Amino acid sequence: MTYIGHGGKEIVERVLEPEKAAEAIKGLTPVPIRGQIAREIIDIAYGFFTPLEGFMTRADVEGVCNEMKLANGILWPIPIVFDISTEEINEKGIKEGDKLLLTYQDKPMAILEVEEIFTYDKQEMALKVYGTTEDKHPGVARTYNYKDKFIGGKITLVNPPKINPPFDEFFFTPKQMRQKFAEKGWQRIVAHQTRNVPHTGHEWLMKGAWLSAHGELPVEKTVTGVLVNAIIGEKRKGDYIDEAIVLCHDVLRKAGYFREDVHMTSITLWDMRYAGPKEAVFHAILRSNLGLTHHMFGRDHAGVGTYYDPYDAHRIFDQFPEDALNIKPVRVLAWWYCPVCGEVTYSGLCGHKEQSQNFSGTLIRSIIQDGVKPPRLIFRPEVFDLIMECAEKYGFGSAFVTDKYLKERNPVFTLPDMKY
Amino acid sequence: MSITINIWINEERYAKLQKAGLADMAEEVLAGLKVIKVPCTEEQKDKVLKVFPTAKYDSATTKSIELLPREVKDKIFDLVVEKQSIDIMDEFLKNY
Repeated sequence: MTYIGHGGKEIVERVLEPEKAAEAIKGLTPVPIRGQIAREIIDIAYGFFTPLEGFMTRADVEGVCNEMKLANGILWPIPIVFDISTEEINEKGIKEGDKLLLTYQDKPMAILEVEEIFTYDKQEMALKVYGTTEDKHPGVARTYNYKDKFIGGKITLVNPPKINPPFDEFFFTPKQMRQKFAEKGWQRIVAHQTRNVPHTGHEWLMKGAWLSAHGELPVEKTVTGVLVNAIIGEKRKGDYIDEAIVLCHDVLRKAGYFREDVHMTSITLWDMRYAGPKEAVFHAILRSNLGLTHHMFGRDHAGVGTYYDPYDAHRIFDQFPEDALNIKPVRVLAWWYCPVCGEVTYSGLCGHKEQSQNFSGTLIRSIIQDGVKPPRLIFRPEVFDLIMECAEKYGFGSAFVTDKYLKERNPVFTLPDMKY
Repeated sequence: MSITINIWINEERYAKLQKAGLADMAEEVLAGLKVIKVPCTEEQKDKVLKVFPTAKYDSATTKSIELLPREVKDKIFDLVVEKQSIDIMDEFLKNY
């Protein structure tokens, strides 16, 4: 079956069958890659980044930086680049027209066709994408850490990754995801982007977004779903551990806070750039490739520090024609706890601003760190208990990323052994 | 806004506060969840961050020192109860 992704382009899986793969990589120059690139290869190869079939050429990067468009005119906000040092290029004699064998975890992973080797002013890239050149911004710091040259060209996965438990049951390629939606009979699906364990503020954001997305559709049969799509990528000390994020979202449904037929948890491999509004557009593209029809955007989506206004990520969707995306933004304000209403309520409806109590992420983390069980209006007990369980089982005693977790955690995916 | 360390109050801690006649010391912040906000000076904050490297100071939103190990929070709480005061950070840091 053919599936159409972002920009009206067909979703193409660039994955070689094992017998062809072993033959195809014989004699290629191996180039080891880091985690970010490995994750992006998986995304490109399975069509998460449709219409990209490889890493960007200079024309694409220029278009993205200057006009938020690929060279072919399709909306795209963040450069997806393969960086490499001049030293490595010279040492390995890499030239345009070559094919390289990209290796990860000391195993073959993908073939990169070297279409173009180019340079790009990293400061300019940072300024155009992130709106700042300050290296305190994590996206800018990531840009500055790129090596001095870039290779643009198509990639082909030769050794599909094995997604490890507990993530394996939450990873779906765009084609698989669309098949899932068809099985469920969902006509509309709204995305909830997350890097957090869910408190009830998040739960109500999802429920509110479901109601918005469902709109005028009939109610006798479930035809609208919420897809939690957790971003799994490079971790920083103090982040929630990945296992807790995914499993705690899933327990919201298992414990009945969402009906079995309206909610699903999934993951996407991506290293957050914290590009605020630009990242919101990127997330919309990603989820449209997964087959979603709506994307919820809350306060300060994918923002960091004070680089972006809390609602820049809403306003950016007014800057291009509606048909530039196959997904509709659902723009929402925060939910808060109101002691007068005696409930978690939508800040856009509640008239008790003075008395309202906000869900501060920092406070919630502080409560979890203390191991103090919050009221069920704030944290579902099943979620809180599971956080504590995950801390023991996966986090070496902590629900938050520590040095030990960074060093010793079970990897999200591994590459199988491959003979060649 | 002054710098604080938030000590979240569970049932066990609340019982200790009640026993010491200090239940009023806890303030309600979120849907009935109680907290004691132990104040820190700038110097005390710097020392806490130095002595406990996992801790972080949230200068942007809450102006509080977070991610202190749970057992450290327990010790601070016990000292608050013992001294019947939230101004205990000098005393607490003497041991470090």
